[in-house]
Amino acid sequence: MRRALVATLCLIAGPAVAGVDAALDEHVLPGTARFAERAAAFEDAAQEDCSAEALRPAYHDAFDAWLGIAHLGLGPLEDGGRGLAIAFWPDTRGMVDRTVRRLVADEDPATSDADAFAEVSVAGRGLFAAERLLFDADYAGYAEGDYTCSLVRAVAKDLSRMAAAVASEWREDFAPLMREAGSDGNTRFLSEREAAQALFTTLVTGLEFVADRRLGVPMGSFDAPRPQMAEARRSGRSLRNVVGYLEALKELARTLSDAPIPQTEAAFAQALETARELEDPVFAGVETPVGRLRVEALQTEVDAITQAVGSEIAPALGVSVGFNSADGD
Amino acid sequence: MRRTMTALVALSTAAAAPALAQDQSEVLGTYADIAHASYEDSLIKARALQDAVDALIAEPSAAALQGAKQAWLEARVPYQQTEVFRFGNPIVDDWEGKVNAWPLDEGLIDYVDDAYGGATDANQLAALNVIANPTFTLGGEEVDATEITPDLLEGQLHEAGEVEANVATGYHAIEFLLWGQDLNGTDAGAGTRPWTDYAAGDDCSNGNCDRRGDYLKAATDLLVSDLEWMTGQWAEEGEARAAVLEDGDAGINAILTGMGSLSYGEQAGERMKLGVMLNDPEEEHDCFSDNTHNSHYYDGLGIRNVYVGEYVRVDGTVVSGASLSDLVAAADSEVDAELRDRLDATMTELGQIKTAAEAGFSYDMMLARGSDAGEALIMSAVDALVNQTRAIERAVTALGVDQIAFEGSDSLDDPNAVFQ
Repeated sequence: MRRALVATLCLIAGPAVAGVDAALDEHVLPGTARFAERAAAFEDAAQEDCSAEALRPAYHDAFDAWLGIAHLGLGPLEDGGRGLAIAFWPDTRGMVDRTVRRLVADEDPATSDADAFAEVSVAGRGLFAAERLLFDADYAGYAEGDYTCSLVRAVAKDLSRMAAAVASEWREDFAPLMREAGSDGNTRFLSEREAAQALFTTLVTGLEFVADRRLGVPMGSFDAPRPQMAEARRSGRSLRNVVGYLEALKELARTLSDAPIPQTEAAFAQALETARELEDPVFAGVETPVGRLRVEALQTEVDAITQAVGSEIAPALGVSVGFNSADGD
Repeated sequence: MRRTMTALVALSTAAAAPALAQDQSEVLGTYADIAHASYEDSLIKARALQDAVDALIAEPSAAALQGAKQAWLEARVPYQQTEVFRFGNPIVDDWEGKVNAWPLDEGLIDYVDDAYGGATDANQLAALNVIANPTFTLGGEEVDATEITPDLLEGQLHEAGEVEANVATGYHAIEFLLWGQDLNGTDAGAGTRPWTDYAAGDDCSNGNCDRRGDYLKAATDLLVSDLEWMTGQWAEEGEARAAVLEDGDAGINAILTGMGSLSYGEQAGERMKLGVMLNDPEEEHDCFSDNTHNSHYYDGLGIRNVYVGEYVRVDGTVVSGASLSDLVAAADSEVDAELRDRLDATMTELGQIKTAAEAGFSYDMMLARGSDAGEALIMSAVDALVNQTRAIERAVTALGVDQIAFEGSDSLDDPNAVFQ
């Protein structure tokens, strides 16, 4: 009822700053709590049995939960570069391979101390370091007592620690800061508009990242496709990730907007349908003209979502897009 | 009720008084003047580098190599201050990859240490070594590199195989040819290429000294001609100047886009935070010469230059005029004061990195795993850049130039130009 009322008021008042509370309560906080829970379960599973076979289901669960919040590149995931440490991608220079290899070759003692492990390069931590250890043939067959086993446990523990910190900081600090936008002493958000714009920016940035990087990187160019660069291809998750990211961004769009968003809904539905029908789990198809065309079609549809949220949600909230961390090269 | 009221307040602030068109065009004129002077200074210094390189090749010696290195370091001072023009000005952004691309797989160009490895998944040409190989295959085709020319570097080698790490031209290729690899990891010390890498006859070290000299010469000549072109773009009749002056709001937006994109995604994120997070000395922007502290410092100064409308040229003269700061102050003096404070705070933080580096705590040492002091130095500069970005966003709002973000449908296709 309350939401309907606000929506009505908004219609009367024209563009309105709203939706921050709803986005926090129905999207951000449940999402970060879920990721913390799944990361903790991954850590528990690793302590129980570090073998790749045993751990893969918990790994997939944790990664699925990550998809729900990966776009929240402000606040707790930005501070200290936590987002990078949880999911270092795209890895254009092969840093994960090099770093994990070196940790194993050196039997780096950082695994025995959580504080020391938190200092390790982000390329040796998080979901993508775990993916190497659990899915890459080079590490297959490790057993209890091997260094690789202790590295898997250290990575899982570190991931769980970060996920818990992200959830609690959102709950205790950053969500209240957004809700109290414009209050005395709040220099981070000077108005509700700034808080709404910050969330809207994560939506647009997330969509652009799906189109330009998660799809664009493996697409490469027509003459030089790069399927080996597809995100999480070792765990067979590339397409599953794109679907998950889009679902999360849809949830953010819905909660952020009080008014109906038919164009946005339609654009999401179209892209998600295309993605689900793609049947190309790691975008290996980009090497063939037909396969590439299909991924490109999905990319175009994701761009169309960006257009839709720009013309539909931005004016309703009275915001535009802020700067984002993908503005660089 | 409260929410509705806030919304109305927000609307009224968002629709700030439009600046007078005349003020806008004066501010844009200053911006273009600073761009022109900055590129012209870069050109002057690149020509000095060219002279020093010619001298090194004509009469190789330790002193001649040192002279070329010094010229390179000086050339970076004005060039880094131009980086703020990249984002928001498509003419610059489309061009700058030839001049300042980084990071590079230097094994494409010349010999490297064994630890460098060979071809990788991401780059089949990572260890091509064109200086040692007059002919090679590229994408199935035989390439004749018996003569190393600007055309070869620009037309065939640069970004060969569409791999961005194949950087064959620009400042960082030249830097590698002058310093060589920095093999000290996160310990003290830069690259230590011997001058004899350019010596004639039996004195030549590491082979192919004549071809190495040809490469250095070709890359430096190309840098000069590229900077000549860009300086022209900002001259009175230049296209970059015309593009900025064409539309007041869009021009102002381009300035702010350049400032914000360089501050946040590029410098704070890609160049500084990522290096700390990876503990990787190759994430240093000027990794061969250990000049990264200056690279960051002058990037920051360039952002400040365009806001306050003042640039100190390499000869000490000053270019200044009506500034964006004036324009923002007229719309909202608090926003202007905050942004000025934050730009100054960033320069203080970047200055601390520069100070420590010049006293011997070099940037790669700051990146070492467990270097709390280094991490604190870099991350406080990152935080300052992030804070500065928020103030830039507030300036965008205060000037009311953000609404054009959604007027055109092509704007969002380009992640480098979110405000265009």
